[in-house]
Amino acid sequence: MDLAVRCQNVVKVYDTGEQKVTALNGINLDIAVGELMMLVGPSGCGKTTLISVMAGILDQDDGSCEVFGENLIDMRSRDKLNFRAHNIGFVFQAFNLLPSLNAAENVSVPLIINGMKRVEAERKATSVLEQVGLGERATSLPSQLSGGQQQRVAIARALVHSPRLIVCDEPTSALDHETGHNVMTLLKDVALHKDRTLVIVTHDARIFDFADRIAEMDDGHIIKVKGAR
Amino acid sequence: MYYIALKMLIGDKGKYIGIVMGLTFASLIMTQQPAIFLGLMTRSYSFITDVGLPDIWVMDPKVQFVDDIKPLQDTELYRVRGISGVEWAMPMYKGLLKARLTDGTFQTCIVVGLDDATLTGGPPVMLEGKIDDLRRSDGVIVDIDGARDKLGKPSPVPGGKPIPLKVGDVLELNDLRAIVVGIAKVTRTFQSQPVVYTTYSRAKSYAPKERKLLSFVLVKAKQGQNLVELTRRIRETTGLAAYTQAEFKTLTFEYFMHNTGIPINFGISVLLGFIVGAAIAGQTFYNFTLENLRQFGVLKAMGTSNWTLLRMILLQAVLVGSIGYGLGVGLTALFGYAMRNTILAFKFPWQLLLFSGAGVSLICVFAAIISILKVIRLEPAIVFKG
Amino acid sequence: MQIKYILPLLAVAGFLFAAYTVISGNKPVPVAKAVTEPASAPFKSFIAGAGIVEAQSQNIAIGTPLPEIVKTVAVKVGDQVKAGAPLFYLDDRDTRAILAIKIADLAKAKADVSVAKATFSDAKSLSDLAEAVTDRRAISSEELLRRRNAMLIAKARLESAQALVQQAEAGVADTETTLSRLVVRAPVDGEVLQVNIRPGEFAQAGFLNTPLLVLGNLDQLHVRVDIDENDAWRFDKNSKAVAFLRGNRRFKVDLTLAYVEPYVVPKKSLTGDSTERVDTRVLQALYRFDRKQLPVYVGQQMDVFIEAQDYSPSKDSDNRQDAKGSSS
Repeated sequence: MDLAVRCQNVVKVYDTGEQKVTALNGINLDIAVGELMMLVGPSGCGKTTLISVMAGILDQDDGSCEVFGENLIDMRSRDKLNFRAHNIGFVFQAFNLLPSLNAAENVSVPLIINGMKRVEAERKATSVLEQVGLGERATSLPSQLSGGQQQRVAIARALVHSPRLIVCDEPTSALDHETGHNVMTLLKDVALHKDRTLVIVTHDARIFDFADRIAEMDDGHIIKVKGAR
Repeated sequence: MYYIALKMLIGDKGKYIGIVMGLTFASLIMTQQPAIFLGLMTRSYSFITDVGLPDIWVMDPKVQFVDDIKPLQDTELYRVRGISGVEWAMPMYKGLLKARLTDGTFQTCIVVGLDDATLTGGPPVMLEGKIDDLRRSDGVIVDIDGARDKLGKPSPVPGGKPIPLKVGDVLELNDLRAIVVGIAKVTRTFQSQPVVYTTYSRAKSYAPKERKLLSFVLVKAKQGQNLVELTRRIRETTGLAAYTQAEFKTLTFEYFMHNTGIPINFGISVLLGFIVGAAIAGQTFYNFTLENLRQFGVLKAMGTSNWTLLRMILLQAVLVGSIGYGLGVGLTALFGYAMRNTILAFKFPWQLLLFSGAGVSLICVFAAIISILKVIRLEPAIVFKG
Repeated sequence: MQIKYILPLLAVAGFLFAAYTVISGNKPVPVAKAVTEPASAPFKSFIAGAGIVEAQSQNIAIGTPLPEIVKTVAVKVGDQVKAGAPLFYLDDRDTRAILAIKIADLAKAKADVSVAKATFSDAKSLSDLAEAVTDRRAISSEELLRRRNAMLIAKARLESAQALVQQAEAGVADTETTLSRLVVRAPVDGEVLQVNIRPGEFAQAGFLNTPLLVLGNLDQLHVRVDIDENDAWRFDKNSKAVAFLRGNRRFKVDLTLAYVEPYVVPKKSLTGDSTERVDTRVLQALYRFDRKQLPVYVGQQMDVFIEAQDYSPSKDSDNRQDAKGSSS
């Protein structure tokens, strides 16, 4: 079994000046390729910090975190950018679509970052939008779309450049139950396949069923990992 | 990515218009105020510009600026004429005389006496009549602004506009009769006094009796003559002051700069305009970046380099800067166009276009640098924060 | 229409308008051409001066020997007159009346002579008669003496009457001279340049600011050039000189020096104004020129340029300082 992510004794301390907050306190977690891993736990338990470290947008203070065999902390920042641009997809709780761009343009952003021509990128983006069932809304602005549609656009954006790891931060918490369910179905059906790993941070118990494994966190530790492959 | 940057900028119409308006205002105030200032300062030497024909002005060495008349003896004219390199030299009288209007009020006028034979140094544009008409007895030429306003006949309706002076009307200069034979267009003077042109000898009879009445000797250099050399020769031969046209303008300009409060007042107003404009535009632009910080964070998280983000922000700054600049200078030009026939001074040289361009660029670069610093320092991890 | 296109378009339009304003607003002010091109010297180094044209004979201001009312003016401006031709007549009625009296006096004196002659011949014949009597007793010696004396007295009376005739004749001649002085005549051949009297006006004797009549010889004209005393030292009698007519510089004429008035006089600005101001002293040089070359009139002003030695101020600036000092 190939490992997508291997965290060993990851420690992250936020130094706000007055006090030190230990967000991650020795995390050990392996995530396999093709797995849908959920990170659950109460607010402030360090879930978001952990996926930030995994996605290479935050450097841990101690321990190592290898993603597809690369130790992110050892990379030069330029390589890390490149690595992120090619290998990581993001889905956010607040969607974080660029409000001025229409759906297709939003989806094409990762491709453009990777240096693809805009016209080509948008063509590809439109086809991905069709995959998520929004083919006819390609030219709509995010503000013209419903929450679920926006999240689907965000998922399309996370998929479009075929990353090997997609990190999702509370993808359903801003959505109602049914929409959340649809979004999760979409993630599981379209995004996940044997070469792609999903890490989903959530505390939405209704979607726990979609997970292959669930890692419960509290206070910077992983308390337990449920389910197994 | 530039396309995305543009979309980000233009997509948010409210903020986009806000920034552009801020920059428009800044560039407007940075262009219009100096334009008025320059217009005013140009008026200080407008008389020299209007009398364009001579290359060199000869006058008393103690003359400080064009309205500072210290007359010479008439024979100095012939001494200047006798200097080699002088194509011709002509006398000119310039002085302030009181004109008595039909309703009995007095108005101070600038009276200019031109050489009787050649009428050198006359008004640049004649609206009615010809300069030759000055040869008619008691003939004077009045400038249009003076004719319309200060020298006009009183309105039949109290408080109404005065009736403009026409060709054939009679004025009284120092108790002597003067008949208007022409209307000329001249550049307004600093004090906006009406200008009355007449011949040199007639001006002398209008002028109060003084021993010396020759205000200036206007000199045309021979073809190919080095003007600096010639002015030096005139100075050394006659002991008078000789300035080239440009030097005389500078002299007058400098006098006003150093001896009046105008430059300081306008300087402060321009500076304030610059600061206010810079503050508004910079603030709006910075706010814009701040509000888009999350979007920049997303782009950064997705692997956009700082360098690319920097270029995106610069592009946005350049775009709003140029739009604001274009609108600002356009409005200034419109303002100047609308005010072209009023008493307001307005001059828009190309240097000013560059100046306000540089000013707006400075504001934009400054705002962009602050924004860029903010974006570069940005931790992409904020994207996960709700 | 979308704002994203409008604003840049407006901006471009604004900038173009500003550029247009800049270009059109900064066009140099049109230069007023001189009505006629001023004259310029044909020499490299020269003295410039104002000249006034006058007749070669200078202009003769005709005066009157007697202050009197003008009766008739015999000439008009422009008349060619010979020497001795009458120019104007003064009122002579008074003098003529005196002449008539004098003539009457003469006639009376002549009549008195006749009376005296008659008386004399009467006395003489009586005396001769008595003298002729040889008989001394026929006539007393007293009678004889009386008759002889009467004859002598009559003779003296006759001589006196004859002297009175001479006196009356001289009186007539005197009045006739006065009469002829009431006719003012041309002293030389010439042209009448100016007539300032009309019949009925009173002609003042003595020097007048406005001469009664100006006479001049116009066959040859002179131009009198004022040279500033500061430039006088540069003046060379042998150098070339040119004069330009005011108002049209195409009219130019070469000058030849006639003479220089060696006495430097206070300059009158040549405006003809009655309140001329004296501002400096000038050397006056008179130049001759061919009248046919110029449509010039006596009294007209000309711009005169006289070639002079090249003058380098730095070389003798000390001298200039002195010259200036003396002028002020």
